[in-house]
Amino acid sequence: MDIKESQSLRDTLLKEIAKCRACRFCIDVCPAYQASEWVENMSPYGRLQILKYLINGTLEEDDPLIYSLYSCLQCGRCDRLCKAKGQNLEVANLIRLGKYLLSQGLVKGKKSEKV
Amino acid sequence: MDINMSKLTKDLGKIVGKEHVFTDKPTAVVYAKDTMPWDVEEKNIPYAVVRPSNSQEISKILKYANEKLIPVHIHGSGTSLVGLARPKTKGIVLDTARMKKINVYPERGYFEVEPGLHLVQVKKELAKYNALLPLFPGSELVATIGGTVAVNTSAHGVDAALGKPGDFVLGFEVVLPTGEIIYTGTESTRRAAGIDPTKFFVGSEGLLGVLTLLRIRLLPLPYFKQIVAYYNKTEDIIDTVMEMYKQGIHPPLFYEFLDERAAKIGFEAVGLEEPIGAVAMMRVHSWSKVGSEDKAQNFLKFLQVGNPIEAKIVEDIDEWNLIWSSRAEAGNYMYRLGMTFGSEISPRVDKLREAFHEAQLIVKNLKSYNNAEFISFGHIGAPTIHAYAFIPTKDISNDLKKALTLEMREKTEDLNIKYGGCGGEWGLTAQRVSFLKKKYGESLYELLVRMKKALDPNDILNRGNLQGWI
Repeated sequence: MDIKESQSLRDTLLKEIAKCRACRFCIDVCPAYQASEWVENMSPYGRLQILKYLINGTLEEDDPLIYSLYSCLQCGRCDRLCKAKGQNLEVANLIRLGKYLLSQGLVKGKKSEKV
Repeated sequence: MDINMSKLTKDLGKIVGKEHVFTDKPTAVVYAKDTMPWDVEEKNIPYAVVRPSNSQEISKILKYANEKLIPVHIHGSGTSLVGLARPKTKGIVLDTARMKKINVYPERGYFEVEPGLHLVQVKKELAKYNALLPLFPGSELVATIGGTVAVNTSAHGVDAALGKPGDFVLGFEVVLPTGEIIYTGTESTRRAAGIDPTKFFVGSEGLLGVLTLLRIRLLPLPYFKQIVAYYNKTEDIIDTVMEMYKQGIHPPLFYEFLDERAAKIGFEAVGLEEPIGAVAMMRVHSWSKVGSEDKAQNFLKFLQVGNPIEAKIVEDIDEWNLIWSSRAEAGNYMYRLGMTFGSEISPRVDKLREAFHEAQLIVKNLKSYNNAEFISFGHIGAPTIHAYAFIPTKDISNDLKKALTLEMREKTEDLNIKYGGCGGEWGLTAQRVSFLKKKYGESLYELLVRMKKALDPNDILNRGNLQGWI
């Protein structure tokens, strides 16, 4: 992915995540949230916020951030909840794309920054 | 404030266990965000998120915070719509999510619950005992029982029909801001007359203490009947509500409406045929089946006063669920199409019509954004006017989001003052301070500050909410 494409992906993610109202309705359906004893950064809501603040530069790539994003099991239960009660976001897919940015070093952070 | 982060982590870890203390920035950001439309700023991001499991641990955290003079912000699920849930200053976020125990005692007539249990889970537990949870926020999927009682919100419920959450609270265990653990109230179903400190903590918004155990009366599940009424225009619904109070008719437990625009959006969203105009939806309750049928028939007759196009009792529960969900979906869909900036005006009932018209003018004449669209829906029977300014984009700056929020707040405050209201349930301290000063004067505000100081001399709990910080 070249610089232009990665910028476009970051812009798309930011635009999509801006639709999240932070209602947190999705947290209880997330198995990772339940398994973590209800820590919000292990929930779909939390991962979307972390991704947003990572892309806009408030956060940098670090271990807790990676742990949060990679705790997503891609089960898609949050998608169904968001469609029924929220903003119809494809939450799991957004998190998957966020993990891709991380794996390619396309976000700010000490570990693998290329941007 | 200079904070030694490694010492803070270690000290808090000694109290709750190190696995329940988070001092990393990603976790802190997640707990700082609430539903307010603008982004989290550095000042909102806490030093630490700490997750205690009982009142003893909370007591130790608060004693520690007083010793070190670090503010503590209580976190339930962060669903407050009016800024209460966002820390206003750097400090420790105290998350109640691990406190979820519930015990139902039918032989004693009450249940006891810890603050972190989500309302939908409380409802599920009470259903086993054929009991009603008399709390009705739209966020029941995740709203905590501690937070709901701490703000004392009726939400969808009409106050005059059943009361407010605090009316059912028999007692609390509370950790005071300085760390003492106290017990209030009774284990009898008979509550105290006169001074009962339980009342101090109902609706105290976490300013006066942390609710760690709530004892709430068991209410038998009533029988319900549902009514929907279609109107040519919103004004007919408003006139009906005014007439209901004037004639002394017992209000339905739920009395919601969608204005012409919201009805179209909401009905389309749930796949129902587009209505001609505005829609009102009501749910009456009674403690007997015959009573509920009688009440619904009587209310149906009364509704003719507002000249509905059609009004009917909805027997089919699937049809009702669709109609009812159109109200929530109207809000969701508007947010999908752009942004909404809300308000609550809860006027004197006989001024409802005038207040509604002036709310429309406020939205149409906003200075911070031209051509915002007025949309309204919500608990009109309460009476509540949720006046929304809708703008068809999300692509606006943080500064403009703040300006719109604050302009709506200030102008609807004036309307609440003009028409005798208090800001209803969006009148929480996090957005209420200027209103309190304008409506009641500095003396009343100073009284509240003194009350807070009496319990919280170092201003540890939820600092900034009573100051009106954003």
